[in-house]
Amino acid sequence: MDNYIQALKADFEELLGQFQRTDSVRYENFLPIWRNLDFPSLFYGKIVPNEMRIFCRLALATAYQYFLPPYTFQIRVGGLYLLYGLYHTQLASPKEKIRIALKDWEEVMKFQQDAANAQHYDVVYILRKLLSEKSFYFAAMPKQLNYQSKKKPLRNEVCEEFRERPQRVKDLISMDTLEEVMNVQQHYEKMKAAISATPGQLDSAINFIRKDLVSQLRSTMMEYHKLEEQQSRDTVPKSGDGDNAAGEGSSEQQECSQRAQLLASIKSKSYGHVLEASKSRRHRQVEMDTSGSGTDPSQLVLFRKKKRPLSLKARTKKNLIDKVGTLKQEATEFTGPGMMEENSKENSKKKRRFRW
Amino acid sequence: MAAAASGGGAGDGDRADAQENVPTYEWEDKNTKAFHVAAFGRLWREKLDPALYCYQDTEEDAEHAQLARELELSEETMEELRVICSPDSLTGGDVRTDVVPHDSSLKTVRLRKRKQDYKDSLRRDFPAKQDVFASELENLAIGRRPMDPELLVPEGEIILTVNVLYPVIFEAFKFCRHHMTLQVMGSQKLSELRDAICCVSDLQVYGEFSSTPDMAPEFISKDLYKSAFFFFEGVFYDDMRYPECTAISKSTIEWAKSHDFPTYRSAKMEETTFNDLVVKIGYPYLYCHQGDCEHVVIITDIRLAHRDDCLDKNLYPLLIYKHRMLTRKCSVCNLYISRWLTTDDHLAPMDPCLFCDMCFRTLHYDKEGNKLGHFLAYPYVDPGAFN
Ligand SMILES: [Zn+2]
Ligand SMILES: [Zn+2]
Repeated sequence: MDNYIQALKADFEELLGQFQRTDSVRYENFLPIWRNLDFPSLFYGKIVPNEMRIFCRLALATAYQYFLPPYTFQIRVGGLYLLYGLYHTQLASPKEKIRIALKDWEEVMKFQQDAANAQHYDVVYILRKLLSEKSFYFAAMPKQLNYQSKKKPLRNEVCEEFRERPQRVKDLISMDTLEEVMNVQQHYEKMKAAISATPGQLDSAINFIRKDLVSQLRSTMMEYHKLEEQQSRDTVPKSGDGDNAAGEGSSEQQECSQRAQLLASIKSKSYGHVLEASKSRRHRQVEMDTSGSGTDPSQLVLFRKKKRPLSLKARTKKNLIDKVGTLKQEATEFTGPGMMEENSKENSKKKRRFRW
Repeated sequence: MAAAASGGGAGDGDRADAQENVPTYEWEDKNTKAFHVAAFGRLWREKLDPALYCYQDTEEDAEHAQLARELELSEETMEELRVICSPDSLTGGDVRTDVVPHDSSLKTVRLRKRKQDYKDSLRRDFPAKQDVFASELENLAIGRRPMDPELLVPEGEIILTVNVLYPVIFEAFKFCRHHMTLQVMGSQKLSELRDAICCVSDLQVYGEFSSTPDMAPEFISKDLYKSAFFFFEGVFYDDMRYPECTAISKSTIEWAKSHDFPTYRSAKMEETTFNDLVVKIGYPYLYCHQGDCEHVVIITDIRLAHRDDCLDKNLYPLLIYKHRMLTRKCSVCNLYISRWLTTDDHLAPMDPCLFCDMCFRTLHYDKEGNKLGHFLAYPYVDPGAFN
């Protein structure tokens, strides 16, 4: 079944790519693409119920990723519509549910708030419809996990065209890279010092690199970050939208509506579409920006340190062998409680096998 | 392994840091970090409006009114939204859904088409073998509700999905992950899962019974050797329900202690609910019974109960998948599942030889039940007996 993942991803990215080119988050603009690509046919065919269920589960889990960061607001809207479409066209009965992970819930709620604030009512409507129809499993993880040590994991690659832009800077300059650069720098200086005419001292003739590279890199980043913040503050219109009774209640609320106006103004600006006056038609406004809500600089976490966990083997070694020298033999064989062959090789007797 | 030390005892969740009970990957796509099951459930329930996980249908009109209030939209706008966003326009309309279209632009559909064509070609070759191994139990219980409202699975209950793998007993099993999949409620005891796991070694009868074939069923292993344990995150959960039970994990724990291994703890299976556990999803744990029959146990999913789940408490632990095994038929009638294995048997075509109960008795005993000739007979439990 997992062999379908790559094909599903390719199809989803085709759909979302076309949606991205509409520069819109309107459901009306999504629907023709969905139909043109004949997405309902995804589930056609004779499949035994059990397999159909697994296939639906896989399709939903694969689509779910586009509904979350690091993708742009627009792609996430497309991801939501995609989930909505898949959920309603699937042929499993009762319908297979969309699994939503606890760790992702805050993101989803923020997404709904952003959509509501920017008056993308169709987005809110569809999310709320899915929720009230009980289309979700409130789960621990976005998919079921079945430990398969032998199988090579499919690299979960993020589609770069859909990625939220500012995050690229963030990804580039993580604490890890800074540390790495610093190490290389130190190494470099040491090497230079070693070959210098006056040992132990840097020879100015071969010393070309900036001394404070890391701190400069860092401060440039911070500057960029501040600039972004500044810009977003400046774009907040002085007077609120007439319909929007802004300013009432707590400061948090105020911030919220300011943010909404900001988002809306960014969006209308970048595409120069005229805002329609009628309130009843507002949700149909064609307004979109590929950077969308997630651009909020307050979200930008500059330096996130990732620690790579040790492998099971390494941990076993650390926990067991290092402590018990005499038991090396047994310990290396001990790889966890009763682990067994996990090969899913099928009967070798079968003459013709399906080749994915 | 930090969480292992706190595993087991009830009430752990109260002092558990909320953030560490939000499941995240330890290994991408493989398993999560350890977290406390009850605390996880509590976190979800705190975040959600109960209307989102209750079993009641949400009135569409009420939901619309609510949404209109929140977004300050007019009735007219809501109606417009309802029409535009209707799921009806998503489907393909009146087309045959049982045919995979050819010439599709979708990669997935093209792949499915190839797969279907391949399957169709197989069907002609081996019509009988189709789906021999696929067994579908899931649908049986979906949406089942009890007559007695007392027996309704409470809203917001935790449902865990557990895979129990079969041990490698036969060479033929070596390459497949034969398993059974069960769903249990968070409030259930580990011992309830133990009772729901069916394994042939529990039914095995040890001994030679050629002189007293009627005595055999009385010596079923399950009744004879009652000890068993689960192993989760450094804790052995022993079945101590019966006086004959011994904590078979004890020797392991002591051995580990004397060899300077990380210390393991033990607790009672019948006093521990799944809610009490600290576990990793997707991580291989252990169930051991009959002394050395070891099953890998993997919790593949933990989530809140859903309206479409089986909602009858009595049906849990609920078997949702079971690998169908090939059965060994009687060598005389080739019809019934074998119940006896004989050796040194002059009446048999081979040694050892399998018989169903009927053929075994007809062939080896006279009308008075006297043994005919020399042979040794052992009760045989077929691995496919649970199909
Ligand atoms: Zn067993
Ligand atoms: Zn027979």
